[in-house]
Amino acid sequence: MNIVVCFRAPSPGPEVDALAGADALALAQALALGAGEHQTTALLGGTSMEAGSLRLALAAGVDRAMRVAADDMAATDFHTIGQLLAIALRRIGAELVLTGMRSDDEGLGAAPAAIARHLGANYVAGVEEIAIASPGTVDVVARGGGRKRRLRVKLPAVLTIATGPATPAQRPPRAGAAPAIEVIPLSDPEATVVRRRTELLGRLEPASRGVETVTSAAALVAALDRP
Amino acid sequence: MIGASTAFRVPRRHASARRFLPNLLVPIDLRDGEPTGPSLFALCESRRVAHVAGATVYAIVMSDREIDGAVLARLGRAGADRVLLCEGAGLAAPALDATHGPALQAAVERVAPLLVLFPAGGAGITLGPSLAARIGAAFAGAADLEATDAVGPLADGVGRVIVRRWRGARAAYRRLDPVEIERPVVAILAAGVAAQQVGSEEIDVDVIACAPPKGNTTSEISSEPDDDERIPLARVLVAVDPALGPEAVARIAAAAPAGVAVVDRARSAAAIAASAPEIVIAIGDVEWVAMGTPHGRLGAILFGDDALPPRAVDVVWRVPAAAAGAELWSQIGEALAAFAAKGAS
Repeated sequence: MNIVVCFRAPSPGPEVDALAGADALALAQALALGAGEHQTTALLGGTSMEAGSLRLALAAGVDRAMRVAADDMAATDFHTIGQLLAIALRRIGAELVLTGMRSDDEGLGAAPAAIARHLGANYVAGVEEIAIASPGTVDVVARGGGRKRRLRVKLPAVLTIATGPATPAQRPPRAGAAPAIEVIPLSDPEATVVRRRTELLGRLEPASRGVETVTSAAALVAALDRP
Repeated sequence: MIGASTAFRVPRRHASARRFLPNLLVPIDLRDGEPTGPSLFALCESRRVAHVAGATVYAIVMSDREIDGAVLARLGRAGADRVLLCEGAGLAAPALDATHGPALQAAVERVAPLLVLFPAGGAGITLGPSLAARIGAAFAGAADLEATDAVGPLADGVGRVIVRRWRGARAAYRRLDPVEIERPVVAILAAGVAAQQVGSEEIDVDVIACAPPKGNTTSEISSEPDDDERIPLARVLVAVDPALGPEAVARIAAAAPAGVAVVDRARSAAAIAASAPEIVIAIGDVEWVAMGTPHGRLGAILFGDDALPPRAVDVVWRVPAAAAGAELWSQIGEALAAFAAKGAS
């Protein structure tokens, strides 16, 4: 099975080489599905400066790491991100796509749905457990409507991951050097992406809220519940 | 039955002005046949801003049968002008994109929305992003509403409704104006307390007959009650650092009123990720608290010299590290009782 973990381009900052918390959960679930029988690929849309998460994924044991060459993905709306990554996923032949539930910066959780739409894949949000049921289906556990449900999902599917696996995978050390990060250029004539919809992120306004210090639990509750 | 529309159709971008009619759609989350507290709050909030924007509030109910009259009356009292009932086999089950997405799409095609406002703890995480992707809308994962009468492209006397959501570590928020961006906005509102009655019990119901999707690709194998069900519905979430031990959660929870969820931050990570509380209190660790909405409030109880991330919280109480223990947990639990006065639900 061809499993792909999609990473979000990091926000500008000092820790661009860190793996975002949500992305780390998705990677852990992918690796827990087993080495050898499945090919696991890490995918990121962004610049070479933003590819730190792909290097970390290679070190963790993924078979391939691919970067869709694109500028300023951190400021791109989810429709465009979904369109862009779907092009790459189709080329990779992805059957099972795992992503974080929400990115650390914008916290939307909408790009996976856009990927699913452009891929024509199933979409299930908030997955906690995954098991391969057959070559064309996976069983997942997700909550909703007051129930914790085990679902059978036909592939291709895009799953957003809410928690890591119960038992983190320990992959054997890679023999030899890690493979290089492969690059999918956006200039590819097949990859026609309309990148003009960043206005959908909305207008950014600074939040000027100070921190109030209190001296008791009752004062804390009163301050928080103030209209 | 009035009509039937289940065909999947993606509206064209920059379509006619029909798409921007001031309709507010609120998908209702039913548990045991009753609307959840956040669903009633979402209707109440919609009613509040609808007065300014001259909008109509539609409650969307997905079910496999007719809606009970008492439920309709509750939806009306909470602020709905009309109910759209998407009726079809399997729609009473918890929502999945594969089974419920087409029904929601049918409702949106019947009534073109300005905003689609999911209640906290409902189907928003499952259906919201995919609906936004299908109709080319903006999306806000945890948001609140702001009404303004600022001059804009709408007719005189018609106000604007703006959705606000945090960005990053609460250094800034984004304002989404569906009129300005010329697209609908799909959002998940924070949990809150609905006013007792803001609307009328007299309410009309439009029924959309929904056939099951052809070639269903997601099916349920088994199901059990969710032990963490109350967490995404809670108005107040108290998240305890697991390093403080299970006794901390147990003692604080023992005194917490209804509507206040006290949880182990690690054990209930999945439910926390699906929640949108109005008030969050982090005990012992504040790294994770970049959540909530601009209207909401974040508090922290820190031990010793624990670092406070900039802009992470609104209110902080520092206690000596040695104070961590049964007496402090009971003190915190008793203080939480004050939330009951506002009817946390």
